[in-house]
Formats: sequence, C-alpha cells, structure tokens
Amino acid sequence: MLDLALFLILLTVGYFAGRVTEHRHYKSILLREKASLRLPTVTSNMLPEVDQIAKSFLVSGSCVISIDYFKRILAGLRNIMGGRMTAYETLIDRARREAILRMKYEALGSSIIVNMRVETASIFSSTNQNGIGSVEVFAYGTAIKLKKTL
Amino acid sequence: MKYTPKLLTKNVNISITHPLREFAILTAGILGALILVYVLLGFALEWVVVPRIPQSVERSLGELFLGNYAVEDSPERQYLQGILDRLVEHEPSQTLDYQIHVEENPVVNAMALPGGHIVLYQGLLDRVESENELAMILGHELGHFAERHHLKGLGRGLVLLVLSATLLGDQSGITQFLQDSLARVESRFSQRQEQQVDEFGLHLLQKTYHHVAGATDFFERIQKEEPEGPLSYFFASHPSSANRVDFLNELIASAQYPIGEKTPLDLPE
Repeated sequence: MLDLALFLILLTVGYFAGRVTEHRHYKSILLREKASLRLPTVTSNMLPEVDQIAKSFLVSGSCVISIDYFKRILAGLRNIMGGRMTAYETLIDRARREAILRMKYEALGSSIIVNMRVETASIFSSTNQNGIGSVEVFAYGTAIKLKKTL
Repeated sequence: MKYTPKLLTKNVNISITHPLREFAILTAGILGALILVYVLLGFALEWVVVPRIPQSVERSLGELFLGNYAVEDSPERQYLQGILDRLVEHEPSQTLDYQIHVEENPVVNAMALPGGHIVLYQGLLDRVESENELAMILGHELGHFAERHHLKGLGRGLVLLVLSATLLGDQSGITQFLQDSLARVESRFSQRQEQQVDEFGLHLLQKTYHHVAGATDFFERIQKEEPEGPLSYFFASHPSSANRVDFLNELIASAQYPIGEKTPLDLPE
C-alpha cells in the first residue's frame, strides 16, 4: 500500500515537474534560436576560398537531459505495447537543439559553422530499480571567421 | 549557394498527443489484458485443473506446507479435534482426513491447507468463548475444503506471481502498480468465496448442534477490534465483520434456524 502511494506521488510529481521544465526549456530554446539565427550553420563540408578565411576552429556543444518519472513509466508501458515512443520525442528534440545552441554560443563572432554533425548517446541503466533514462547529444562543427572584405 | 536562415516554427519531430491520454489508453489496455488472462487462467484452474487433482497429490501438497506447523498432540489439540470430528460426521460428502493444528502465534487467523489440515492460531483461540462459535469457525474452514478454495487460491496466487514476474520484469514501479490492481480484483473474488463458506459453516452448525447459537458471536466480538493491530491482516481478504454478521443473521432468519443454549468452551491447559 505504501509502495503504491509512493509510486503515485512520484508519478504526479514527475508529471508536473516534467511539464514545467519542458515548457520552460522550449521557451528558452525558441528565444535563443531566434537570437542566433544570423550565424549560418550548415552540414555542408564545402569551405570558402582558403584566402578568405581569417580563422577556423572546432566548436562543440553537448547536453544531457533526462525524462521525468511519469514519462519513464509511460515509456515502459509503451515498451510492452509497441508503437511510437512519444514520451521520448521531446527529450531527444530538446537535447539536440540545446546542444546546437551551445555549439553556436562557442562560435560567437564567427561568420559560419560548416560541416556540423550531431551524435547521440544514451545514458541508461536498468540495473537499479530507478533506471536512468537520459540522453547526451553532442553537436560539433567547424567555425570559420572570414577576412573582412574591403 | 544562398543561405536562408529559417526558424523552426512547426516541429514535426514531436507528436501532438497528450501524455495523460496516452498513459490512460496504455494502462487500460495492459491492465485489461492482464486481468483477462488472470481471470481466464483462474477459471481454467477452478473448473478444469482443481477438480481433477487427486487426493494423493493433495495430501503430498499438504505435507509440503505442514513443515512450518508443528504437530504436537496436546490435550488442547485433542479437544479441538473432537469438536471438528463431530462436525465432520455431519458432512459425509467430505472424504479427507481432517486434522487440527494449533499455532502458537498471537495472530487472529485460521487456515485451510491442502490435505485436510486446519491451522488455528492461538490469537484466535484466545478470543473464542463458546464451543458453538468455534464450531462455526471450523465449519467455515471445512467449507473451504468442500469448495476446494485452498487449492484454487494456491493456483491463482501462482498465476499472479508468474504473470507479474515474467511479463513486467524488474520495472518495479509498473509491476507494483499492476500487481496492486490485480490484488484488488482477487480480493473481490475471495470475499465472495468467504461469504459462500460462511453459509456452509452455518448449515453445518445447524446439522451438528440442531441450533445456531453463537454463529455470529466471534465476528461480533472482533468487529470492535478490527481497525487496528494484527487483526487487519486477517481481514484483508475477508468481508468486514459487520457485513458477515448481517449476512449470517439474514440467513438464520430466512432458514428459520432455532437459537439454542451455547456450550462454553472448555479448553484444557
């Protein structure tokens, strides 16, 4: 009985805390994406003419996010039935966009980021009973600062 | 190549479903399926397997359980056995060799184990005042044997265990949630069974003593103690004592059973 009560409390807390966190995060992501819109970020590996480049360097950003208890349970149930893991969708989406934003932050002052790549790793353990359900997203690319054209 | 900065406005990577809606659908689906399997297996055991278990198997099952309960032939046990034997004489359909065991434990409980073994806890004996109410309790346990509940309960418990262990594995939260829900369904079943055997016990009491005095005494007495202590254990799967008393009184009234003189309990030390 106590176990069930604890479970329901965790479920409720997880649900509301998770929703608030997610809402806030998305708000901040949208704001920062707007602010950093002027820094072109492309996956193309075509470089500008070498004599135009003043400086080029590696930029990277990584982000680790976990889902809340409620979504973990939801995902567990979905795991039995199969289908789209909607519980994890926002987690991955947020982590990806956050990592790219962090990478862009590192490239402040550059003209462009080329050859951007995104890697995902799951940080997961099912050994203890409250298994961790987190992802790390790592975004990296080459930031290029062009010479000022006269 | 011209670069066009584009702000993400509509996100195709996220499904537009409410998580609570999804949770409700999934829980209902899985719980429904589990309950269905559980009930079907339960019925299969009740109607197909249990009636076919031979008594030899039942006896060896009983030996298995009885290891926990010492068989000590005290005068107290013989006295209780005497009451039981008298009841059994009036229930010729029962073919098992019934034996009483007294367990030195303050818990207020009695159990019917496979093989015709009835375990009475000391806590229960301490609260019984007349032979008639003890006979009612024994009749109740004999009812469990007549309906073969002792084997059915065993089977369903096994189904529950296997189901939750194999299906849900170590995801403790979900297992707990589903298990508790199933346990609730199970206690519904068992409450109906308890009522059934209360009725059996009452009829047996009438056949043996030719009156039903004391039938409700025990339940009335423990009703006052119910909310606290070791008693809550006993009542988890049973109907509340108030309900049982009402039910028995209704039966007594409709069958017009006479109420006679109670025999005081004479437990040897």
